[in-house]
Amino acid sequence: MTMSHNAVRSIFSFFFFLGRKARKTKVFFLISGLPVLVALIIQINRLFAPGSGIDGPAIFSSVIMAFNLQFLILVLALFYGTSICSEELEGKTLTYLTTRPAAKSAIILGKYAAYAAFLILMVAAAVILSFLILNVERLLDLSAWLAMIKGLGVLALGLMCYMAFFTLVGTFLKKSILFGLFFSFGWENIVQYFPGSTQKFTIMHYLKSLLPAASTGSAGKLSFLTFKLEPSPAGTAVATLVILTAVFLGLACLVFSKKEYIFED
Amino acid sequence: MTAVIQTKNLSKWYGNVLGLSDVSLEVEQGVTGLLGPNGAGKSTFLKLITGQIKPSIGHVAIQGQDVWNNYPLFGRIGFCPEQDAFYDEMTGWEFMTSLLSLYSFSRADVQSRAEKALDFVELDKDKDRLIRGYSRGMRQRLKLAQAVAHDPEIIILDEPLNGLDPLSKRKVIRLIKDYKEAGKTVIVSSHVLPEIEALTRTIILLHQGKILARGDIHYIRDLIDKHPHMISVKCSDPRRLASSLVGEPSVLNIQFGPGPDTVVFETQDRDKFFGLIPRLIVDHRIDVEEITSPDDNLQAVFDYLVGK
Repeated sequence: MTMSHNAVRSIFSFFFFLGRKARKTKVFFLISGLPVLVALIIQINRLFAPGSGIDGPAIFSSVIMAFNLQFLILVLALFYGTSICSEELEGKTLTYLTTRPAAKSAIILGKYAAYAAFLILMVAAAVILSFLILNVERLLDLSAWLAMIKGLGVLALGLMCYMAFFTLVGTFLKKSILFGLFFSFGWENIVQYFPGSTQKFTIMHYLKSLLPAASTGSAGKLSFLTFKLEPSPAGTAVATLVILTAVFLGLACLVFSKKEYIFED
Repeated sequence: MTAVIQTKNLSKWYGNVLGLSDVSLEVEQGVTGLLGPNGAGKSTFLKLITGQIKPSIGHVAIQGQDVWNNYPLFGRIGFCPEQDAFYDEMTGWEFMTSLLSLYSFSRADVQSRAEKALDFVELDKDKDRLIRGYSRGMRQRLKLAQAVAHDPEIIILDEPLNGLDPLSKRKVIRLIKDYKEAGKTVIVSSHVLPEIEALTRTIILLHQGKILARGDIHYIRDLIDKHPHMISVKCSDPRRLASSLVGEPSVLNIQFGPGPDTVVFETQDRDKFFGLIPRLIVDHRIDVEEITSPDDNLQAVFDYLVGK
């Protein structure tokens, strides 16, 4: 299975451009902006009711990050990952791609990279805005910035890994969204709380292992996220996420190259 | 002449449904018309030779190479699909340049090819509009533009004249003939016989997934001409028109209806019949509203050929 980097790059440009214009992107852009709205409301409340006990930085590192990690990246990865293959089939546009001198694996990788890139940008924009709003008094605090950047890295890793998984699911399953919903909000949200090594069968386990509260093992600001978490070492967690992403993508390319797709009339 | 496209025992099933059955043929340079009623297997055949689907049995090769997953080969092929499907959020220009960028052309070449193709299909003025807002004819022309913009050696067009106005049809027919003169290989599918007749003499007739006939179009035309034709005339005085044709040897049968102003003639010599009609209409001062051939369609011809 060979392919040229040019083909991947061309497909990337094609769908980075097209993905941003898609209607669903506008909807998800609004959803990703919800934490910004919440941050704004909290900050306005703090301005008008000083001493109300609401800690902006704490809200950022718990509620905002939790929303992104536990909900937003899962939903984005699900809807964009599965659509890499399914939207071409449903729209009957696959013909335009598969009759070009581009390897099928280049189509998957280019489209995956395009969607992952603009989703990471979308999430990053929302996270940075929320951070700026809620940490307005601590903007010179380097540790706060570092924590935010680390959080962003975890979100990006999570988004890439989940998206690779859903890309694979989308290449062979017709009802991939339904399966993805069960996986995201069933398996991932339940099994991560199982004690022992069972929780290591979830992607979320490795993501949470990278969060500061988990790695210190203290009941910190993210303690509610890391309930019963028995974290893996950071290096293992990163390596596992990278390997899983590569394996899911490799399998997606393989399935997409071998499988025959027939449009439904 | 060397065969450009070769198929051997090519068969395709969709589950239990037969799409194509045991098709062995060779397509040479020039224009080949793929003719058949809807559901005959034309699109299945074209999808197989463009590597979009895998044969269930048999083999398909282009220029001696296997087609399935042979993507470098696709640089030599241009395909215009039948389905009216696009990336609707794109403009015509974005669509063309995005697809052309999948070839190894320089940026300047991509732009000049896109411009040339859009200009040819007369979409240059609408190139910055969203495809979503294009009419059916414009979308059809855009599909054609993306199939030829990279100047392929082999052009495969699935019902390319659908939805085109007569002027655009003529232009596309001219383009296809130009490709033939340039030594390219073109396969055009259609369920409309006159469309194929305007393009080529070399035809493949498909029916129920099988090749019914292949060769010169005159062969099928002769078969059609032997086929008794029904010609319906809607006019001011159908009985008078009928009485004037009663003794005519080329008229086999005359029936009135379905309406009070309609008469249906059955003839075995359509050309002679159409030669007589204008004179009779003028002589008898009959106002004619409509002349149609209820069975002058490909399905009727196929039914006749297969003895239904």
